[in-house]
This record gives sequence, C-alpha cells and structure tokens, in this order.
Amino acid sequence: MECLSYKSEIVNTFSNVRSFSFQEKKAPLLDEEKVNSFLDAILDFKNSLIEKTERIYNVNERIEKITWFNDIDEESLMLLNDLISSAKDLRTSLIRQYISMNFFRKKGIAKEEIKDFKNSIDELKESYEDLESVFFFLPEMPDFVETTSKLSLV
Amino acid sequence: MELYCLEDFKVEFDKLKSKKSYKTIEKEIINYFFGKSTEQLCSGVRLNHSVDVPYIKKRLGGRGGFRFYFLLVIKNDSLYLMFVHPKTGTQGSENITDESKAYLYKKVLECIQSEDLYKLSLDDSKKKTQFDKLVSVRS
Repeated sequence: MECLSYKSEIVNTFSNVRSFSFQEKKAPLLDEEKVNSFLDAILDFKNSLIEKTERIYNVNERIEKITWFNDIDEESLMLLNDLISSAKDLRTSLIRQYISMNFFRKKGIAKEEIKDFKNSIDELKESYEDLESVFFFLPEMPDFVETTSKLSLV
Repeated sequence: MELYCLEDFKVEFDKLKSKKSYKTIEKEIINYFFGKSTEQLCSGVRLNHSVDVPYIKKRLGGRGGFRFYFLLVIKNDSLYLMFVHPKTGTQGSENITDESKAYLYKKVLECIQSEDLYKLSLDDSKKKTQFDKLVSVRS
C-alpha cells in the first residue's frame, strides 16, 4: 500500500514540475513584455525630464539676457517684478517635483537626468536672484552707483 | 583683448587649481577668455547696466561649474577678472551677496587706478596660464 502512495506522490510531483516547467518555458516571453513596458516607462520619464530641463535652461538664458537691456522704464520694472515672482513660484513647483523623485534617485534610476534637472532649478534660482539684484538692489547701493560713474571715466 | 586680474582672483584660482575636483578651472579660463572678441565676451549676467564698462557674472563649466566675475573696459579692449568661485564641492557656494558684488566692483576700480594687477598670458604650450604682476611706473 505504501509503495502505491509513494508512486502517486511521485507522479503528482512530476506532474507539478512538468506543468511548472512548461509555464516557465513560455514565461520569459511574457516577462520580456513586462520588462519592456517598464523600460519604456523609464525612457518616457527620462525624455520628459530632459525636455523639462532644457526648457528651464532656456528660461534661465532668457532671464540672463534681460540684464543686457538698457533704459528700462518704470512699467518694465513692474513687469520684471512680476517675472521674478512668477519664477519663484515656478521654482517652488519644480522643487516639489524633484523631491517626489526621491524614490528614483535612491534606486539610481535616471540619475544623471535628475541631477541635471536639479542643476537647472538651482540655476533658475540664481538667475532670478541676479535679476532682482541687477534691477532692484544694486542700483540702490550708493557705493555701487558711485563706482559705475567713476568707471565711466577710466 | 588684454587680460588682467585682481589679487583676489589669483588667490582663489591658485587655491582651486590645487584641488583635484576643481582642476578644470584653468582649461575653462583658457577656452572662454583667451582669443575672444568683446562681443563674444558680452554674455552672462550684466550687473551694472553699463554699455561701455560692463561688470559681468558668467557661469562656466556645465553642471555646478564655476562663477566668474569680470569687468570689460571696451574702449581699452581690456578685461579684468575679479573673482571666481565654484558652485559645488567643499569650496562651493550658491552665490555671493550683493555687498560682495559691490565690494569687488569698487576694488577693481581701485586696482585699475593704482595698477595693482596681474597680467594674464599663456605659456608656449598654450595650455598653462601665467600671471605677471604689473610694475607701476607711478611714484
């Protein structure tokens, strides 16, 4: 009797392994699909981040160029003030997005793209702070204004 | 274009160049400042609204990189490097204060007037910068 139950157990195990083996032979194809869609999602994320980073760098460059404008009137100064506030708002939103990428950063996903993204945000802050200095703070410093007039005679 | 620098700049440059992580500073200077026209150098942030003597802050060196502060005296075809700092690393800082910007601005004027400057040139290999202290002829 015992011998029969052994046989039955062996047959059951064999059947289990056979079906498992059959499934697994087909499984890599299914897994590949899943891996591919996962990789596609990462690629999409990277591309959208690269695009966004380039857009931020472009904004930074445009802000820098404003410092070369001459004879800015009062109305334009008000517009510049609005631009600075808006750039500050933009940075706040972008920093939130950067923080939400912590999981990816920890896993080393899109590491370089995220670093570039952060750098572009840092440079955005630098750009609007410089713009504010150039048009609102430095012209109010007597020493600075005096140096400008003395340098025009050099 | 004649290139000069303040003592402050040379001190920072020597300090940064001696650190492994900032070694690219010399290459950045050679590539960006040497052999360039005034028009090519008029980019970055203009800090002083001046058309003839722009005081410029320029970011160089890609991510992180360095921040250079310099003055262009267009009619004399001269450029004065005033200060440099890296953005990242042990010597890095985000930005300098408006007070520091004003201090450097005043200092460059004084140094130009007293000729307390170093003249920058390249060695024969064109890969190294040389700093020669100007000898004032004034009594």
